Parts: sequence; C-alpha cells; structure tokens
Amino acid sequence: MQGNGFKIGLIFAFLALTLWYLFPTLQYNLEQKQISELSPSDSAQYVDENREKLASIKERTLNLGLDLQGGMYVMLEVGTPQLILELAGENKDDALEQIVADARTTALANDSDFIDEMAAAFSTENEGARLSRYFRNDAAEITRRSSNDEIVTFLKAQRTEALDRAIEIIRTRVDRFGVTEPSIVKQGTDRIVVELPGVDDKERVRNLLKGTARLEFRLAANANDFSSFINQVYDYFDQKAAGDEGDSLDTIQPNALLEVLIPSQGSPYVLGYAEEQDTAEVNALLNDPEVDRMLPRNTTIMWSANTQPYTQGGAEVFSLYGVKTDIEMTGDVIEEASVQFDPATNVPEVSMTMNAEGARDWARITGANIGKPVAIVLDGFIYTYPNVISKISNGRSSITGVENVGEADDLVNILLSGALPAPLEIVEERTVGASLGQASIDASLNSVLIGLSIVAIFMIVYYRTGGAVADLALLLNIVFILGILAGFKATLTLPGMAGIVLTIGMAVDANVLIFDRIREEQRTGKTIKAAISAGYSNAMSAIFDANITTGFVALVLLSFGVGPIKGFAVTLLAGICCSLFSAIIITRVVVDYLTRAKSDAVNFG
Amino acid sequence: MRWFETPNFDFVSKRKIAYVISGILLAISIGAIVTKGLQYGIDFKGGKEIVLKFESAVDVTEIRSSLTDPLGSTPEVKLFGSESEVLIRTDNTNTIEEIETVVRSTMSQLYPDNDAITEKTDSVGPRIAEDLKSGGLQAVIYSMIIIFVYILIRFRKWTFSAGAVAALFHDVIITLGAFTLLSDVVNFSLLIDQNIIAAFLTIVGYSLNDTVVVFDRIRENSIVHKGMEFIPMVNKSLNDTLSRTIITSVTTLFVVAVLFIFGGEVLKGFSFALLIGIVLGTYSSLFVASSLVVELDSKTNK
Repeated sequence: MQGNGFKIGLIFAFLALTLWYLFPTLQYNLEQKQISELSPSDSAQYVDENREKLASIKERTLNLGLDLQGGMYVMLEVGTPQLILELAGENKDDALEQIVADARTTALANDSDFIDEMAAAFSTENEGARLSRYFRNDAAEITRRSSNDEIVTFLKAQRTEALDRAIEIIRTRVDRFGVTEPSIVKQGTDRIVVELPGVDDKERVRNLLKGTARLEFRLAANANDFSSFINQVYDYFDQKAAGDEGDSLDTIQPNALLEVLIPSQGSPYVLGYAEEQDTAEVNALLNDPEVDRMLPRNTTIMWSANTQPYTQGGAEVFSLYGVKTDIEMTGDVIEEASVQFDPATNVPEVSMTMNAEGARDWARITGANIGKPVAIVLDGFIYTYPNVISKISNGRSSITGVENVGEADDLVNILLSGALPAPLEIVEERTVGASLGQASIDASLNSVLIGLSIVAIFMIVYYRTGGAVADLALLLNIVFILGILAGFKATLTLPGMAGIVLTIGMAVDANVLIFDRIREEQRTGKTIKAAISAGYSNAMSAIFDANITTGFVALVLLSFGVGPIKGFAVTLLAGICCSLFSAIIITRVVVDYLTRAKSDAVNFG
Repeated sequence: MRWFETPNFDFVSKRKIAYVISGILLAISIGAIVTKGLQYGIDFKGGKEIVLKFESAVDVTEIRSSLTDPLGSTPEVKLFGSESEVLIRTDNTNTIEEIETVVRSTMSQLYPDNDAITEKTDSVGPRIAEDLKSGGLQAVIYSMIIIFVYILIRFRKWTFSAGAVAALFHDVIITLGAFTLLSDVVNFSLLIDQNIIAAFLTIVGYSLNDTVVVFDRIRENSIVHKGMEFIPMVNKSLNDTLSRTIITSVTTLFVVAVLFIFGGEVLKGFSFALLIGIVLGTYSSLFVASSLVVELDSKTNK
C-alpha cells in the first residue's frame, strides 16, 4: 500500500490540471447562457463592455471542429500549368501550350507531379532539346545552357515560392474579411487548406479566395482597324450562313453570330452586346482561326464584367470590347483603395490611388489618349471603360460597375492584399451549416450520456462494488480526455465525439480484465486482498499489449487522416492514455482504500 | 452476476466449422466486392453532395426525377435523418455553386410552399479523391504492418503475427462485403469514405485487442503449465479469457448501438461499420486467430 500517497497526489494533480484547462470552456458557456437570457439591447451592451474578457476566454475554450460549429473548409490548388506558361512569358509557343495541356492530363491520370510530367513530355517530343529555350531567367542563373534537371528544380522552386506568397495573400485577405480563428495551412507542394469557422456566405468566400486580382490598365483598340474588323467578322458569318454556292435561296441559314450578338450602332470599339445566356455561344463562335486571322495586330476582345440595359429598360447585356493586347500598367502601382459612393447615384465604386511612378505613367497615358477610352481590367473582365476627358495627373482612378457594397469591399481587400502569383482553383470544399452542427453536437452529447449510463449500470450489476469503482474511473476518464484536448489545443470533431463514446465502451475493458482476473484468483482460494493484488499485477501485461496495439492504430490514423479523422485519432489516443491511467492507478487507489479497514468492503460480484 | 465462470468449450476442435462459416462469409463478401465493386463515397470518387433541410416532409423519388434533367444525369437522393432532410449526390462536373443554384431553384419550383436551407455541401475534386483514397489504403496497410511487427516482437512467434493479421483481414473484408451488399438496401448512406476508413481501423484495433489478450494468456499459460500440449493450452487460454472477451464486447456493443441509434445521420455509416466489426472481431478472436496459430504451428512443427 505504500506509494499510494504519490498515486493520490498524481490523481489530484492531473484532475486539477484538467479542470484548469476546462474552466474557460465552462466559463464561456455560462457567459453565453447569461447573454442569451438578457434582452437584445442589454446583451449587445454587455458584449460590448466585456469584449476583451469574452475574447480572452473564447481563446482558451475547447476548440470545436467545423462539423460541430458550422463553417467552411476549402482546399485550393495553385494553378501550376498557368504559372509555367506565365514563367515562359514571351518565349511560350503553341508547342509549349500543347505540352502543358498534355502533362496536365497525364499528371491527373498518374497522380504524379505536373512539372515532372511536363519535362518528360517535352523530352519525348523534342529529343535532346533543352527546356531552357522557354525558361531563361538571368536572376535565377538559368541560361540557354542549363540542363532540363536544373530547369525542373527551378520551376519547382518557383512553384513553392508562388505557394508561399499565395498563402500570405490569402491570410491577409481572410484577416481583412474578419473571420474569428481562421486556419490557413500549406499542404503538399501546391495546395492550401483554409478553414473558416462560422462562415456561411459561401459565394463571397469563394471569390475572396480565388480572385487573382490581376488589375490591368489597357488602351482601347485602334478605332479604324477595329471597326473594319467588326465589319469583316459579321461578313464572315454572313458568308458562312450562305454556305456553298449553288444552295437554293430558301435554305440560307441565318447569321449564327447575329443570333446571339447584337451589333453596336456606330461604336468603333464594341463588337456587340449579348445577354448572359448567350455569352458562351458567342465565345464558341468567335473561337475560330479565321476570326483570329482577321483580328488586328495587338488587339484582344474582352467582355465587360457587368451588364447594362441595351435600351432604356430593355434586356441586360454584356458588352464585347476591343482593347490593346499590350498592358500599359498593372495593379502593382495601386497604393491605396477604398469604397466610395458616386455622389450623384449613390452607387458604390472602388477608388484607387497610385504611387508616384504609377501616377506619372497614368498622367502620360491619359494625356496621350484624350477623347479615347481606356479599359480597367480585373481578372480578364473590363470593369470600367471610360473616355478620357482630360489628362489625369493626381494618380487617381476608380473601378465602377460593381454590384454592391459587399463586392466593393472585397475588391478593395483583394487589391490591397496584392495579386496572387498564379490562379488558385478550389479542389475541395466542404461547408456545414450552423444548424446541422448544433444537431450533431446534440446527437453526440446524447450518445455520450446514454452510452455512459448503460455501461455504468451494467458494470454495477455485473461487478458490484468493483463496477461502481470502475464507473467512477470512467467518469474521470471523460473529464480527463476533454481536459487533454483543451490543454493541447486539439479540436473536438464529430468523429472525435464518436471516439469518446467508443472510449466509454473500451475504457472499462482494462477494469474488466482486472476484475475478471481477481475473480479467477479468488477461485484459487486466495484471500480478497491477495486476489486483488495478484489480479492487478497479472492483468497488467494483457492491458498493456491491448492498449499499445490500439495506440498504434490511432497513431497511423493521426498521420494519414485529415480534418475530422485526425480529431477521432486524437480522442482515441487521449482515451487510451486516460483509460490506462484510470484503470491502473485510480481504481487501484480506491480499491485499496476501501479494503484497508474491512477486506470484504469490496465485492467483485 | 457471473457469466462463463469456468467455461470449458473446445474452441480449437470446432475450428473446422468456423472455417466453413468464415469461408462462406468471405466468399460472399469477395464475390460482392468483385462483381459490384466497392461503393465509394465522394471522398474517394470525387463528386458533389448537398444536404437540404426542408420545412416539411418531401418525396425522394420526386426530387430525384425532377433533378435528372437539370443536372444532366440521375443524382443519388436519400433521406438524411428525417423525412424533411435529403442528401443529393451528383457527379455533375460544374462547380458546387452552380449545382447548388440549380438544385435550389429546381426545389423551389417543385415545392413552392416548402422552403429549404442548405445544411451541408461537399465538393471533392478527382485528384483530391485519388489522394484521399491512396491515403486511406496506406493507413490500412501500414497499420497491418505495424501490428504484424509488434506482435512478432512481443510474442516472438511469426505464427502469432500471421494469425492476428489474418483475423484482421477477415474482419475488414467481411465488413467491406456487408457494406457493398447492403448499400442499396438500407436507408442510410453506406458508401466508403474517410469516416469508414477510421471505423475500419477502429475495428482493426478492437479485434486485435481481443486477440492479443488471448495470445497474452497463451504465453502466460505456456510458462505456468510447461508440460501441456499446445492445443489444450490454446483452448484453456480461450476459456480463461472468455468472460472478459464477452463482457468487453457487450459494453462496447452497447455504446456503439447507442451511437448508431442516437448519434445522428452523419455517423450512421461509421457506427454501422463498428457494429458489424465488433461482432466479427469477437468471433474472429475466439475462432479464427488462435485456430490459425494452431494450424500454422502444427504445419511448421512437422
């Protein structure tokens, strides 16, 4: 019995530590309850007055997973193919684009690295040739003579850099968006996992995360060239409709382009207008090598980002503008951006201020193009297409045509956080509504309570006093698990709750092993005290082996699982440690204490 | 109360019967898996899932047919916990936002007076699905290897390792078979996803727990009863630990049944796997693992 003083000390120390870690959670829940009982105005005032205190408690509470509190999980992937094409810059050609497209498919099929696949595809296609023809980069000492392996290493380094920058930018954007306790982590070579608890405006979050924020200032296409291009295009589709010579007149097809695109009346910069449902068809028709050939040099066609009514009160249409391919300025020059309201219409717009260099360029560009439009392009769509009235020398410009204040806010956020180095694609997205989260909490709490009661009653019925002691240990066990989770800042998920329920069933196992052993020892004629002592020591090796093996499984789950499954593995691990502790130390101390005075005070049924 | 106080069942000599039973179950399971294929959830296959909660009860068949046209293929539609909640699963390749818009507008036409809220959306791209699948497979394989090695170190006999791991495969394959066969029969989702992999590994851990306790007793008895033949000794060890095996199974089954009934829709498949797995795990520890050790032992000692 010696050494029990130490054991008792250990139990109370552990219990005190656990309660210390769980206290903020309890406190937070009590505060929340109190707040919900107050009238709306009182509660708002209370929250306001105690903001800091509440926040500091909240920070130390047991974290709930997204599946329990609701929120959004998004996995983003850096668009490596686009990044590669970007890096090739002016050296890129059709052959490279083809190789990139092929490598993308093979990488997806083989679950392999895109850059490796691209290098392999290039080598098979052009034996002995060097990738350096595309990726010369003086700064990184990549010359014409660099080997393909060096290029691959260089490209991979570029990808890592792009990923790290993307994470920084996403973090800034999310912080500005104002989510409490967001989590942004890198995964693998090209992915970012973003977890946003409590967020339910999916649309806004998607735009916020994906927006590359590539802001460009471009000049309008040359008016003469573009208006003749407009005529050529419509003529071309007229001829196409007329078909081969010899067709009889009544089989003449209507002009396919005119079906979906309304020609502009007189603007030399607008190819036409289309309603939303027709834009895809227009794109398909214009994606024609003949049209490409007709397009004047250094000219690109681009859609407007927003619609405007075609006639007063008429259908809402998008405009298809002609702009220069050359980019005059990019968003790098933007120093400040804010949401402003047009004084006349009260419509929100984003007002931007440029740095000194930008302002100088902007003054030059506007000065040289008075009377002509310039295009402000964001992520490939034209937001503003104003006519320059006079030279702008103060470095100001604005993006109009945003839909609402929310969009304007997000645009400002995106502009100020900087442009993403490569487009990001959402490859996995999970959202859980707050109501389902609450339902999951309720269901799993119920399961814990019911499971606990059934097992507790069974143990008392089967093992009598011994069972009661085991039940006490079981209760402490659950408190310990929660304490460990809170102490290690682990997250309690729904599978984690299932892990707790499962632990209830399995935690008694160690006691079952011991009690059965004690019964066995009693059958050999030992006194109760001797039987208890022999029972504990003989059961130990089985308990040890059984828990170690389950522990291994939990560790494997911890290293391979993601999100909620990790939560399950963590609770399983915590459960194993706690049930070992409670079975070996807690029940032993209690049993010893009970048998100290009267040896038959404990009955194992 | 005492169950199986001094049992004296001859487990080992009945092993032929157990082989027949296990053989049949394995044959059915493997047959089902081969012919029907494993029924993967979107975690492992890619795809989109939306859970809608309506104000009042809805009809699954109606929803399925109304969505077939807008989504371009027949989606999977199942009730999700109650009559007014449905899970819609589609392999449509549009983005989740487009799909959600289409689904919700179709639903508001179908049930103009029954508003719905989106409770849950999941969208998993094909590459992620591939990654998650290989991650799950690796987790299962690595845990098997670790277990094999651990038992080899602890019990110093490869026959024990082989017996334990074979019993684990037995349990997991039959549970997989049950999932494959029953996925269309039951009214909750039995698709294999990350949660189910976690459940499988828990089954592995649990079944192993039982097996190791028996092995531990065999090791102890082989020291205490030195002169005893191997087969009677295995039998004695199984009987010695029988009470514990049954009690632990009972308590664990209690809580898993509670989880299955009260744990909510998200955990249905998970707790169902555990229900089957725990029964199988208990059975395999009593009749498969030790019997295989006996079998391998007699083969190698000849």
